[in-house]
Amino acid sequence: MSTSSNGAKLVKSGAEPMVRAEAVHKSFGAAHILKGIDLEVAPREVFCLIGPSGSGKSTFLRCVNHLEQISAGRLWVDGELIGYREHGGRLHELRPREVAAKRRDIGMVFQRFNLFPHLTAIENVMEGPVQVRRESKAVARERAQRLLDRVGLADKAASFPSQLSGGQQQRVAIARALAMEPKLMLFDEPTSALDPELVGDVLDVMRSLAEDGMTMIVVTHEMGFAREVGDALVFMDDGQVVESGHPRDVLSRPQHERTKAFLSKVL
Amino acid sequence: MTCVEAGREPADTPSSDSPQQVLPYEAIRAIPVRHYGRWVAAVVVLALLGWLAYAFSQGDILWGTVGDRLFDHTVLQGVWHTILISVCSMAMGLVLGVLFAVMRLSKNPVTGAVAWLYIWFFRGTPVYVQLLMWFNLALIFHTINLMPLYKNDTTAVMTPFVAALLGLGLNEGAYMAEIVRAGIQSVDEGQSEASQALGMTGAQTMRRIVLPQAMRVIIPPTGNEFINMLKTSSLVSVVQYTELLRATSNIGNDTTAVMELYFVASVWYLVLTSVFSVGQFYMERRYARGSQRSLPKTPWQRVRDNLSTVRRPKVA
Repeated sequence: MSTSSNGAKLVKSGAEPMVRAEAVHKSFGAAHILKGIDLEVAPREVFCLIGPSGSGKSTFLRCVNHLEQISAGRLWVDGELIGYREHGGRLHELRPREVAAKRRDIGMVFQRFNLFPHLTAIENVMEGPVQVRRESKAVARERAQRLLDRVGLADKAASFPSQLSGGQQQRVAIARALAMEPKLMLFDEPTSALDPELVGDVLDVMRSLAEDGMTMIVVTHEMGFAREVGDALVFMDDGQVVESGHPRDVLSRPQHERTKAFLSKVL
Repeated sequence: MTCVEAGREPADTPSSDSPQQVLPYEAIRAIPVRHYGRWVAAVVVLALLGWLAYAFSQGDILWGTVGDRLFDHTVLQGVWHTILISVCSMAMGLVLGVLFAVMRLSKNPVTGAVAWLYIWFFRGTPVYVQLLMWFNLALIFHTINLMPLYKNDTTAVMTPFVAALLGLGLNEGAYMAEIVRAGIQSVDEGQSEASQALGMTGAQTMRRIVLPQAMRVIIPPTGNEFINMLKTSSLVSVVQYTELLRATSNIGNDTTAVMELYFVASVWYLVLTSVFSVGQFYMERRYARGSQRSLPKTPWQRVRDNLSTVRRPKVA
């Protein structure tokens, strides 16, 4: 029995966490989606979020880079409050430009890839650096080519997304996020829309990112990946953290009935 | 990725090595169905067409006048004016269309309501009436007074060209606003999320990601609008602007060759709309980038392909 898998809270002490959530709530109108999430993600950690659909995992992920605004609680990324500025004891909403500036350091990979279909693979990867960081095209192109090389798609630079398979598109999407040199990467079910035979290539890229020490939050149904690569795992249900701990512990010896019921269906 | 490419290989190899291949079966030779109905229909249609041609050849038409006046200086100037007013009005319509579409989609309720009101009025009243109102603006406002900037008599400002431009351009803006709005809304939400996740601002997202993709939806109806504009511009003769129709009918009235000059006008309208249809084809092709696996061939490429198949030597 490990000590880390016995509570709903996963708050570590020590180094400054990369992400810290304190009693985060989120409602869409009357629908209460997140009901008080507390967690911490340490730097260089691969943090996996699992749970049934509708449990709020993706919503939480989208709150981290402010695609959704939280309704209550506090959320910090790298020590900075997300979405708000604290000033004189009160919270002020950030201007859209300030929100955009904070997102630069947070990469996101979507379930449906969301590549820009009117741009080639390499142009997709260059778009952020050129438009947001105002890099010269030559510099951006060179790094984009290296990133495509890294995800195994060096020869697909001139292809349009419609000419690529799902797995190839998702790897371009990872390269696009990496081009901004983020300190945190968010993966929202990155392999759920892929044919089973294409999942492996995407997971390989994510594994190599983890080995390089990238901090990653991964919403996933790939329990094998969570077990092998994950440093921490949280099981969410109905907007709450039900159980958390090291992936091996939670997946092999779940403590809660809901976790057991969920894992018995997906494993 | 290797497994995907490897999977395609065997499908390509047969049938491509020899053009005159031997089929592994004997083709069925059946007596084809005779489509007598098609023959009858073709004969009837051709007969009607012949009758129409005969009628025109017997009509009291001075075909020589049509030919002579086609490149008449006044007519050519009318053609130029038609192009000028159509292009200027369309440009104004495009700018206003994008502006009002963005206003309608904005979260600000005031700009949204103003855009709605603009579209409601200019789409809801006939362009003919709008033209007349601009032209007669001097009846209610004797001077135009933009306080520190500009002041002049309305009659001096409201030349036929200005009245025509305002009438056509503002009307077009209302239609273009709806077309642009539909285009913007057709772009998947995930696209703006992805660009925002990269740290792009709202304006960058609109300009770099949303509008280029919206263009695919916007261009075909815009081409339609422009062709309509070329023809609708004939209405501006009511505000004394001498475009193609007014130029030709002036000559027609002076020379009593009324119908002949309408023929001249029709020929030019057909030429203009045909030329711009070709332009539209190439524009659509440009913005189809990435949406299809391969771009549609241009007519020229198709001709070249056909020629090359004809010329290819038959290898036994």
